[in-house]
Formats: sequence, C-alpha cells, structure tokens
Amino acid sequence: MTSLDPLLAGATTGTAVLAEPIADSNGRASRATWRVFRRDPLGMGSMVILALLVLVALAAPLIATYPASYGTDVLKAPSLTNLFGTDSLGRDVFGEVIWGTQQSLLVAVSASFIAIVVGTLVAVLGAYFRRLDGFISIIVDLTLSLPVLPLMILIAALIGPSTTTIIGVVAAFSWPEVTRLVRSQALTVVNLPYVDAARLMTTSPFWIISRHIVPAVAPVIVVSVVVTASRAVLSAAGLAFLGLGDPTVWSWGRILYEAQQSGAMSSAWWLTLIPSIAILLLVLSATLLSIAYNDARNPRNRAR
Amino acid sequence: MSRLSFILRRLGRSVFTIWFAVTVTFLLLRLLPGDPALAIASPNMTDDARAALLTQYGLDKPLIAQYGIYLFELVRGNFGTSFTQSIPVMNVLLQRLPWTLLLTFTALLLTVLVGIPLGVLAASKKGRFIDKFVQIVGVTGQSIFVPSIGVLLLFVFGLNLRWLPIGGAYDTNAYGMAWYGSVISHLILPAVSLMLIQLGSYVLTMRSTLIEALGEDYVTLARANGLPYRRILWKHALRNALLPTTTLIGLQLGFLVGGAVLTETVFAYPGIGRGIYEAVTQLDFPVLQGAFLLLAVTVVVANMLTDIVYGFLDPRVKTS
Amino acid sequence: MRKRNLSIAVAAAAALIALSACAPSAPPASTSTAATAGSDTLTIATTTDVVNYNPLIGNSRSDYWVTNLMYPHLLSIADDGKKEPQVATKWGYVNDTTGFYDLRSDMKWSDGTPLTAADVAWTMNAVKKDAPSGTFYGQMANFVSATAVSDTRVEIALSKPDSSIVEEIGFWGNVVPKHVFEKAASVAKFANDGTDGGWVSAGPYTLKTVQVGQSYSMDRVDSYPLVEGGVPIAAKVVYRVFPDINTEILALQSGEVDAIANALPPAQVAQLKSSSGITVEEVGGLGYAHMTYNMKNADLAKLQVRQALAASVDYDAIRKVVLQDQAVSTGSSPLMPVLSDYYDKSLTEYTFDTDKARQLMQQAGYTADSSGNFPVAFKFIYSLQDSVTSQWAQLVKDGAAKAGITINLVGTERNTYLAATAKGDYDIYAGNFAIMDDPVTNFTLAYLPGGAINYSLVDDPALNDLIAQGTVATDTASKVAIMQKAAKIVHDQVYDNVMYTQNLFFAHSSKWEGFVTKPSELLSIVNPLSVASAHKVG
Repeated sequence: MTSLDPLLAGATTGTAVLAEPIADSNGRASRATWRVFRRDPLGMGSMVILALLVLVALAAPLIATYPASYGTDVLKAPSLTNLFGTDSLGRDVFGEVIWGTQQSLLVAVSASFIAIVVGTLVAVLGAYFRRLDGFISIIVDLTLSLPVLPLMILIAALIGPSTTTIIGVVAAFSWPEVTRLVRSQALTVVNLPYVDAARLMTTSPFWIISRHIVPAVAPVIVVSVVVTASRAVLSAAGLAFLGLGDPTVWSWGRILYEAQQSGAMSSAWWLTLIPSIAILLLVLSATLLSIAYNDARNPRNRAR
Repeated sequence: MSRLSFILRRLGRSVFTIWFAVTVTFLLLRLLPGDPALAIASPNMTDDARAALLTQYGLDKPLIAQYGIYLFELVRGNFGTSFTQSIPVMNVLLQRLPWTLLLTFTALLLTVLVGIPLGVLAASKKGRFIDKFVQIVGVTGQSIFVPSIGVLLLFVFGLNLRWLPIGGAYDTNAYGMAWYGSVISHLILPAVSLMLIQLGSYVLTMRSTLIEALGEDYVTLARANGLPYRRILWKHALRNALLPTTTLIGLQLGFLVGGAVLTETVFAYPGIGRGIYEAVTQLDFPVLQGAFLLLAVTVVVANMLTDIVYGFLDPRVKTS
Repeated sequence: MRKRNLSIAVAAAAALIALSACAPSAPPASTSTAATAGSDTLTIATTTDVVNYNPLIGNSRSDYWVTNLMYPHLLSIADDGKKEPQVATKWGYVNDTTGFYDLRSDMKWSDGTPLTAADVAWTMNAVKKDAPSGTFYGQMANFVSATAVSDTRVEIALSKPDSSIVEEIGFWGNVVPKHVFEKAASVAKFANDGTDGGWVSAGPYTLKTVQVGQSYSMDRVDSYPLVEGGVPIAAKVVYRVFPDINTEILALQSGEVDAIANALPPAQVAQLKSSSGITVEEVGGLGYAHMTYNMKNADLAKLQVRQALAASVDYDAIRKVVLQDQAVSTGSSPLMPVLSDYYDKSLTEYTFDTDKARQLMQQAGYTADSSGNFPVAFKFIYSLQDSVTSQWAQLVKDGAAKAGITINLVGTERNTYLAATAKGDYDIYAGNFAIMDDPVTNFTLAYLPGGAINYSLVDDPALNDLIAQGTVATDTASKVAIMQKAAKIVHDQVYDNVMYTQNLFFAHSSKWEGFVTKPSELLSIVNPLSVASAHKVG
C-alpha cells in the first residue's frame, strides 16, 4: 500500500513522466489516440476487464443472491454448489465477492470523484489566479508530506468505520496529488497564446477556466481518475483489514478482514485468494489502462 | 551567500513541515470524537475517576492552552508521557524506530537494486515483449494486497519449507554473530513484500525517464559518433534518468516508514506503523503525537538526504 | 561516476550497520541454579503488546498474563467459579464489617525480601487511596482499610456488610512488593517498567528483557512454593507478539511458538485439533455474552417489546454456527450453569418464535405496515474488535427483521463503542464478560441503578431490594435463594438477554505437557501454576 504510484510519482518529479502535458483536446487527436490504443493488447485487455468488473457490480443481483447471514457448512472448499467455497459462518463466498464488487467500486469511484473534483478545482484556480498559487502549492506540499496511511487509520478509528468515512478519508488524502499533477499541466496551458487571447475577449474567469483550461487538462484528469480510484480500492481494503471498514456491507476488504479475524487465512486459502485476485485485477487493469492511454496519447509513440 | 540563504530557507521549510504535521495531529486528536479516559480505564470505573484522569492528562484545559503547553514542552524537548503506560513517549517509540528504519532502508535498497536494472532493461527493449513483461511484473507488485502475499510467503517459506522464521525482528535466544544472522533472516520476508509493492514505481519511472533521455540530442550525437550503445545507455542516459528516481526515494521513504503498518501486522515486525495502530486503539494522544512527529522528521531528513544525493548526481549542480 | 555510486552504496551500508548497532544487544545467557528444573524455553504467543507492567493499572489480556507471572493473587478460581487458595490459605469474616486472609509464610520476592501481610495490606490501601484504573479498584466500593495484624494475617475493615468482597478482592487483586511500589508517589501513575533496576517478582517468573512489539523474556525464579517441587520447570518464558492471529497459528504450526495464549477462533478449533503436533485444550467459560435493552428508550421500556425482541433471536443457530457448538445456553439467566450452586434449571431459554414476537408487538400496541414492519427501529451497538459478537449481530438483526422489527447495526472501533456505552447512546447493547464469578457482585454492578455495567439502565425496586439482601446474606443457602429470585426477575422482565457461556479452546505444541487449565481466557493455560508446571516431553 504505497501511497505513491508511478503515474503520479512521475509527475511529482517535475518531469511528468507518463502523464505528459499535451494539449490535445480536439477530436482528431482523440481519434488518433484511440487508433494507437486499439492496437495495444494490454490496454484493450485491461479495458475489457474493467468493463467486466463494472458489469458485475451493476448486475450483482442477477448473478448471485445476497449472502445469507449464515449457513450450515462452514469453511468448505470451492465446489459446484459454492463456486468460491464458504466462509467461517457458512456463507457463500461467491455471493460475497460479487456483491463486494459493488461496494469496492462504489468506494473507488466516489473517492476518486471527490478527489478529482477538489484536486482539479484547486489546481485550476491556482493556475489561473496566480496570487493563490503560492499558497496552494505550499498546502499541497505540506499535505503530501503527511504520513497518509497512519492518518487514515487515526481518522477512520475516531470517526467510526462506515462507507462514508472510508470514501471521505481516502478522498481527503488523494486530492493533493491530483492538484499537483493537474497544476503542472494547467500552468502550461494558462500561458498559451489562445488563453491570453481569451482573457482579452472576456472578463469571466469561469468561462476561460471551463472552456479552455479544464478541457486542456482533461487527459491528465482521466489518468488521475483511474489511478486514484484503484488506489482507493487498496486503501479501503487496507483499512477494512485493520478492522476499520464498513462491517455491514460486503466488500472485498471485509471478506479478507473476516478471514483474518477467524484465523482462516492460511488454512482456507479461497477466503484469501479470491478477494485478493479481485483487488489485483481491478488495480492492475486500471493501472495498465492508464499507461496504455498515456502511451497512445503521446505523439512520439503515434509516429512509430 | 546564496548557499547560506538556501540552507536557511531549506531549514525553515523543514521546521514548517514538522510544525504542520504536529499541528494537524494535535487538532485531529482533540477535535474528533474519542475519550482517552474511557479507553484505558476498566469498564467498572466511576465517572469521577474518569474525570480525574482527564484532569491528570490536562485534557480539561481549553484547546488553545493545551496547544500552547504542548508546543512549549516540545520546544524544550519534552515529548510528553504516555497516557496508558505512564512512561516518556520517546521510550516507547525509540524501541520501535530502529526496526522500522532498518526494514524501510532494506526494502528501499532492494527495490533500487532490482528496480533500476529492470527499468533499464525495459527501456532498452522498448515496445518489445520483455518491456511489456517487466511493466506487468512491476504493476502487478503494486496491485497486490500486502497481507495476502504476506500470509502466502509465511506459509511457503516459514511453515512448509522452514527456511525463514515467522514473525519478530530477531531471535531472543541468539547471541553474538548468530543474533545478527537472526536479524537478517527475520528481515527477508517483510522486506521482500515491501519491495514488491513499490517496485512498480521505480521500474516505470526509470523506464520512461530513460526512454526520454535516449531520445535526447546528445545521445543521438553520441551514437552518430560511434559510441557503443551499451556505454551510452549506462553512462550517459542512465545518469540523467537517476535524478527522478532519487526524488522518488526521498518521497517514498517518508511514506514507507509509517505506511508499512500492514506489513508489520502480518509479519509481527515491531515497527512504528503498528505502534501507531495500537496507540490509536488506546487513544494514547502523546504517543500518537510523538509518532507523527517522528514520521515528519523522517520525511524531512529523507528529503534533505535526497537533495544531497541529487547534488552529487546532477551535472548542472556540479558545474555551477 | 562509478566511484560515486560506490560511495553512495558504502554510505548506505554504513547507515545500515549503524542502525543494527543501535539495536539492543543480546543479553548474556542466563545461568540456571536450580538442579531439578529443566533448561527449556516456553514460548507463548499473544496478539497484543503489554501496555502496563503495573498490575494495578493493566487492563489488556497481555498485561494480565505477563504481570500474573510476577504478582500473585491471594485466591485462585476453580472451574465452577469457587475460590481456591493461592497466597491466602484461609479467608473469611471476623464479623459483619471485618474480613480476613491468612497467608502462606513461604513466599518471597525475587530480591530475597519475604512476601508478608505488610505487602498485602499496603497494596490494598494504596489501591483504595490512588484509585488506579484496573479491575482491582472496581471491587473496593465497601472497602475502608487493610491492616497487617501479623506477618501472615491481613484484616480488612468494611464500610458496610458485604459477603462477597473478601473473595472478590482476593481473586481480582494482585499483591505488589511494597518496598518497590512505595517509592512511587501514586500506584496509579507508577509505570513499573523495570527502568529502576529491573522487576521484582513473587511469581514463577521475572521479566528480564523487553522488545516492544516483539517479545517479553522472563527468567525463572529460584523458588515458587505453589508449584510441585517448588521450582518452575521451564527456565525461560518468552511472550511473543503476533498482531495477526493467522501468523500466530502459522508460528505454532512451524514450532516457532509452543503455545497460543489467546482463545482460538471457534472456526479454527476443528482444523487445529486435526493438525499433528498440536494439542487443543478445552477450558470452561466463566462469563457470558449478552444483549441488554436500554430501559430509557420508550419502546424498550415496554415489557412486550423486550419479549418480542428476545423471541426473535435464533439462539440455537448462533451457538451452532457462530460458536461451532462451543457454547452452552444459560437458560437466558445471568446465573450460568457453570456456577453450579446458583444455577436454576427452572429458568429456560427464550423461545425463538417470530410469530409470537409479532403478536407481542401487537399487544404492545404497534401496528405493522403493509410490508409487515412495525414502526420501531433500534440502534444496536457492538465492538468490532469482538469478532464473535460481530458475527452474531447480523443473525440478531435478521431474526428481528422476520418479526418486523428493524435493528440498525452499529459496529464500531472499541473506543467509540465504549464511549457510546458510557453515554447510553444505544438501544440494544451487545457484549460479553470474561469472568462473572460472583453473582452478588455482578448483580450489584449490572442491575443496581448507577452500577458500572448496568447497560440496561434498569432500576427495579424489587430487584434492587433482592440484591441488597444478597449483599448482606452470609450463609450460602439463603444467598443462593435470594440471587435465584433476582435472576428470575431479570429473566422474566427481560432486563438482560444472556445468550451463552462460551467454552474456550487453547492450542499448544504436543511437545509440551503439564499445563494446568483454569477457567476463562484470562487464566486458561497461561495461569502462573500452569506455566510453571509445563514441561517438554521427549
């Protein structure tokens, strides 16, 4: 559970490694990006997996019945009746994983949505109103220097574990990285001639920001969404594992937490393996997808 | 002169960073719900006794007074006394800190030793199968849920193969050289897990900066001049590509020291992350404040070290 | 360039070596003087660190286990909750307001000072004066002062007649060395962390070295008269910390630890019983798990609503699935079967019948809506650290839902749970007690107004009166009769829904034998006598 990942970390080095700031918001560039992207098996594969996960989350009621509160056969290995086996209360792990997808994706999407909105807003405001920028970058730097996971533990424990708490806590510590990433891109856009021209034409900063700056930083935001969301899944699972998850809703983290509490992690391998694979699939495909997207967006790669 | 002012500004910034972390922790502890007297007293304790405990901890004073006292004592080098253990906070934390630092440094060293060559490999074979493969390995590592891989490693290497011990930082019955041996054998599994989860960052950063560097004019020029590719790769391009990696180390070290709590939990490693978790469950405010202070100091020191190394590596700094 | 890389590597290596050198160096090997005893080390796993070395403050399991090996109790406990001699050989009452303990004369502290009545009396008076936050002080309500009338006899003066206090203080209270603890201004603030020349013990072992987060190493004392042969058998006892129970179990299976001090999760018992090289010991429970209904809630103040809730719990399923048949019904009474003198067979468990629950709700004046739900919703609190309760909470909710009663589960971190409990911020409280050994004491705390664990916030004059009578009753027969009457009120009025007594299972390596089991997780196989008697076979 490192709190840095290659995409954002690259940006923090100032070289903006993967999320290269390229202002290509027009349709032609998008189509070009898509042409390159389509040829990348990793990117396409990741996209299919992500789509499947979303489908599972949406169609959970059609795929599996909601896990009952108990069953008679406890800790049974996977079989035809229980595809993923049963847990220490005899509940069907298949149902738990399917319904857990919903919760895990909900946390991922909500947390990253909040982080992206706040992070982007702060970054764009900072870039546009230069007087705010110094202050904002100090706040961002300071927040980034805080130990994230220990603080998440502290807050989740004090406020009390619930889905809202987890989403809030993960979002609260994710927005500064988004700001940092988006800010570097926004700064290059603000100084471009067409933004200067726009400034002459209108006095409404809102218009300039929404019509010129936000579209220009959109590709960076796309990457951030994916990365923040996948990290939210890992953070939520980590908190759940420490007993700070929502105990009333099924999530992948809760399956792992209950396996840990019942001491079954090594003997009942299916309880550990299956939710871990689900987490792995989500985070892995999200990360590979964003790498592929960046590669495809880079004109240097297109030329190839 | 500019050097002195640079150092002074750097120091000021460090102090400011530490102050920020300390203040955030202080406020979170006091403003969020949670009653330390309840946490440590047995359930059959009277309300009077609880109130007395709060007075004893100084938690009945106004917030601003508590904060003033806290900062004043901090500046004097007094980190407070643990609520639950009645012993100085640093006695509690300094028993754990060396192990955390040992684990973190080892994991970082392993990551760099493995991650840089892998990144170079991927960059030099850009677009080929091996490049994709290295990327997938790196990204898979950081997508793994630590406790799962931890239990798996313990099951295989600790229980089935019996190659490595399960839990702890050293063998309490080993002395002399054997004791150092036991420190190393206890370190392997947690350090490898930590390495796995951060490897991706290094591989990908290394790969992309190196690819960029290889596209620079001076590399093209060197190739045109007939310098062997290998030499260009290792001597010129790599040197430039090391800079972002160094920054990454500085950034990650701070996060790692506190963020290894899951690893420490599964491997029963006596680190500071686990200490924070336990202090949270006991609502031991002074220990938490002390721990977050130590983490902030670690971040600051790590960043300073990074700056120094950066100075060594960056040719521009050298020439100026 | 290469040279510079090298210098960085050297610097990093130097930093690592420096760090290792900072680590505490290994202590010299202890030399054993006892001839009869063995030279083995018994390694015991626990999930938490020791928080307090001062037994008068300590609250956690690990605190209790480690300090119990150093600071003896006057009394121990039998499987049925009856008290047994430990440091005290005889105990009782001189008159209504004076109790006494007669002590063994052969106990001594590890620094050679004899353990006498002066230590015992000083400990009690210091606890009364300084009010340390441990369980001991909670037993002191009617205690005034203790006097050492001779080296082997202590008398305690009481503020009013209390027929339970002598046994309760004797069982819950430790004896600490006066000559060490009196240096501290207050025993409530004394850390006893061994920084002042190490620990002084009168138990079978003395703490020697501590690695916070990892291990607590204890050496055998030369003489421990309570164990057969007078000397503990294992030369060293090491408590190892494994925060994750999965790692703990792996460590037992690999032989890295010899025993696990924590009770096994119910679902792991069968699995470990069938593992070769591991012995699982069963230990009777002395406590219970329960739900209380907050009488301050207008809905719950109605008897029929409480009865309806009690009828909507599938007790058998909870015991069968969550506890894997490792628990016994108490007949929905706080007088558990394990307290054989007090147990009243005529009280039977509430019947699980959701139709009857619906009828009761209608009788109480509630009308179900079109979907069959009554217009009530109850906040149900429990601690997430309590994994067994967390598991059955869901079953309680589902059962109530069948009866049309809504229960909102609020599982929280332990501190939030305690805070909610203290504020009365709940409708239904779920929790458990490890040891409820003495009915009078427990009823006083659980059902009298203002009682520390009166979680139903009940104030029933008839019940109050019976408990008051029980407190002063001196002969066992009349005391039992009074408490049975009180328990019947609690049962019939559904003030407290006592669900089961959990029997506990403890695992140790088959290479070790001779453990002496005692009831409850606090004593189990790691009580001082058991640890001192355990020995390696083969």
